[in-house]
Amino acid sequence: MKTLVKVTLVLVLIVMAFAAVTLSVSAQDDPRRPVSDDEVNAVSKKLYCPVCENITLDTCGTLACAQWRDEVRILLSEGNTPEQVIENFVVRFGDRVVGTPVDPLLRAIALITPWVFSAAVLVGVAVVFFRWRSEGTHTAPMAAKRSTEKTPNATHSLEDYRARLESDLAARR
Amino acid sequence: MLAELGFIATFLAFLAALYAAGMAFYGVRRRDDRLLLSARNAALATFPLMSVSLGALLIALVTQQYQIAYVWNVTDPNTPTFFRITALWGAQAGSLLFWSGIMSAFAFGTIALNWHGQRRLMPYVITYIMLTLAFFLGLSLFLENPFERYWIMPDNSVVKSVFALSGAVPPAAARLAETSHGLNPLLRHFGMIVHPPLLYMGFVGFIIPFAFAMAALASGDLSTGWIKATRRWTLLAWVSLSLGLVLGGRWAYDVLGWGGWWGWDPVENAAFLPWLLGTAFLHSVMIQEKRGMLKVWNMFLMLGTFSAVIFGTFATRSGLVDSVHSFARSGIGFPLFFFWFSVTAVSVGMLLWRWRRGELRDDRRFNGLLSRESLFVLNNIVFVMLFIAIFWGSFGAPIVSELFLGTNITLGKDYFLQVTPPLFLALFILMGVAPLSAWGVTSLLRLGKALIVPALLAAAMVALLALMQPAEPLVLLIYGVIALSGTVALWETYRGAAARHKTLGENWATAVTALVARNRRRYGGYLIHLSIAIVGIGALGSELYQQETQRTLAVGQSLALGGYTMRYDGFLGGQIADDGRVMDIAQVTVIRDGREIAHLRPRRDFYPNAEGMNTMTIPAAHSTAENDFYVLLVDWEAISASSATFKVFINPLINLIWWGSLLLVFGTLVGMYPDEKHALATAVAAQPSRLAGVKA
Repeated sequence: MKTLVKVTLVLVLIVMAFAAVTLSVSAQDDPRRPVSDDEVNAVSKKLYCPVCENITLDTCGTLACAQWRDEVRILLSEGNTPEQVIENFVVRFGDRVVGTPVDPLLRAIALITPWVFSAAVLVGVAVVFFRWRSEGTHTAPMAAKRSTEKTPNATHSLEDYRARLESDLAARR
Repeated sequence: MLAELGFIATFLAFLAALYAAGMAFYGVRRRDDRLLLSARNAALATFPLMSVSLGALLIALVTQQYQIAYVWNVTDPNTPTFFRITALWGAQAGSLLFWSGIMSAFAFGTIALNWHGQRRLMPYVITYIMLTLAFFLGLSLFLENPFERYWIMPDNSVVKSVFALSGAVPPAAARLAETSHGLNPLLRHFGMIVHPPLLYMGFVGFIIPFAFAMAALASGDLSTGWIKATRRWTLLAWVSLSLGLVLGGRWAYDVLGWGGWWGWDPVENAAFLPWLLGTAFLHSVMIQEKRGMLKVWNMFLMLGTFSAVIFGTFATRSGLVDSVHSFARSGIGFPLFFFWFSVTAVSVGMLLWRWRRGELRDDRRFNGLLSRESLFVLNNIVFVMLFIAIFWGSFGAPIVSELFLGTNITLGKDYFLQVTPPLFLALFILMGVAPLSAWGVTSLLRLGKALIVPALLAAAMVALLALMQPAEPLVLLIYGVIALSGTVALWETYRGAAARHKTLGENWATAVTALVARNRRRYGGYLIHLSIAIVGIGALGSELYQQETQRTLAVGQSLALGGYTMRYDGFLGGQIADDGRVMDIAQVTVIRDGREIAHLRPRRDFYPNAEGMNTMTIPAAHSTAENDFYVLLVDWEAISASSATFKVFINPLINLIWWGSLLLVFGTLVGMYPDEKHALATAVAAQPSRLAGVKA
């Protein structure tokens, strides 16, 4: 009987020791960690709701977005970095879920194009400016004279304008 | 009765607009004054007709005529009278009619004030305004009719028609009231009484300078007459649009519950785009008036501004972009696109025609690279670059990627905060430097000397800001650049007043008022610059130094953020308001330096009858000059509410945005107020004239 009790105790101890080791190993390996709301919001702020356009995930009030925020929390708790979480969403929903595309080509198109257009405007203005300057040295006095003849000058009085209008109308009658 | 009255008045306004446009054009080609007078009277008649039309819809909304589909759709028996009035522009059909009403009012004012002074241009002005008005009235009559009523047909089907159909009966009033929707919860905010009307006034108001620009091109009178005639109209449209944008920001801050005021949403941007071009125009016309330069450019800017207005309207109302602001998809998308394309093509075509004929040659050339006019041109270029960057981010890139790359992309805040800051900074630098430069030519040395005192003042302001909100050196430098644009305005005003005080012996108050009265346009402009600097500092501070946290608190627990402590005191669930919404209210106390400074009630409102989004998160805020402590109720423990989740923001300097916008209005009013010379000229011009043989 004593032997049976001893064997049982030994077995129980072995089982407990094994269980303790197993549990401690799994506790050490469990990558999940508590994630604060602020961490979730920091990532969600950079993601756009895949359903409602132009609303970021942290502010969207739909149930779907609440679930996606939970997903963000789980992904962060599993040890993913914010960049990895964002990439995960981009892979699943496309570049529309981020404020600037992750895809290098789309990103380049998005960010460079306005500067290309702006540079074109600048070049255009510079060309016109220098053409005016070069033209101006030769023709400015003539142009100014022609302009005064054709159109009422800014400094002309109302009476001048009325007189011109009257003669213009008289000529038409 | 109200539906028929409103519809008939709208239809008559439509006919009057078409008649006025046709007769004005025909009359000016035939040089027939009787036809022109007839066109003028028809154009004037659109305003009283639209007043009747809008009045009928308003009475229907206030008196709960639910048989009218629009009334049924935007109100319910619980809607307070205040929101019944704002419901006039609460959905597509009503807001289109309201838009047309504002346009008819602008047309009335323009004809009444400019008929005598601008006889050569007015027939064309009437043509363009009335064609635009007829287009929008056509949308209201044929595609988005706010006067349609519900009818039950003999086969029990429900149809919508303005007039009673054969054999049809109206639905039971009680049933209609019971099933009515109520106003979109997003629109139940005090700001709704002013934000949309101001925005529409801004949009619609630009029709006046646009029509004058087109009239100048059509008539060949390419002098500065059209600019002088429209300066105040342009300022009115500009200040309305500016205020509309700021109030839209305030509405977003109060209602959308995300802690910010500008989200770079495509519809916000659609309203910002014409503002950018309109602001560039207000600067560059000064060069044409003073130096006879940039005639083509000014035409281009005004045509671009109005084109941007119509494009923005198309983008918002067609469903091109989805946004909290946009109207539902509807059948008016294609007509609006067609109209935008036609307006743009015709106006650009006419501009090119006059340009190629050499009729838009400048009177003077640029003398030097550094002069007030060259700095104004640079300012214009930066505005255009901002326009390009924002247009591309809001519409260009998403459309191009979808059409040509087969993928949807969203360019959000990240994009705009990467692309626009250098451009805004350049604008503030130019705002500081340009007013100190001379027309014709100036020197760096002279500019540098003039900048010394304003720069010292700006440095003092930066030191003050640094005390309120510690910041990095680069940010302080940017604060300094923004502040400089304001201190230049202050310093220039002070110098002028000091000169009067010294030479004329006037006291300071008299010296300042006399100075401003002598050149209202200039000093009004300085006030506007000062206000934009204040808004800029507020926007920068609230964007860069916003702090936020989200925490779940049990009753009695606290959280700390940015020197404040917030305690969760309790919860009032299921409170029923007069308008039928159900409110869940959290009670919190804000503590600073151990002292209770505010009791706030962030809440969640639920609208049982509303379609679609029926829950609103309404923030509560404690405001000071330094910052806003802004609280949102995110969630709470069901039934017991023993714990609740809060999102808390500290928004530094955000109130400068609202205060700065008030100064902007004041500055614009100063700039718009007619001086004595102008009043006299107007009085002379308004005298009965025999010039064209037309009786007024």
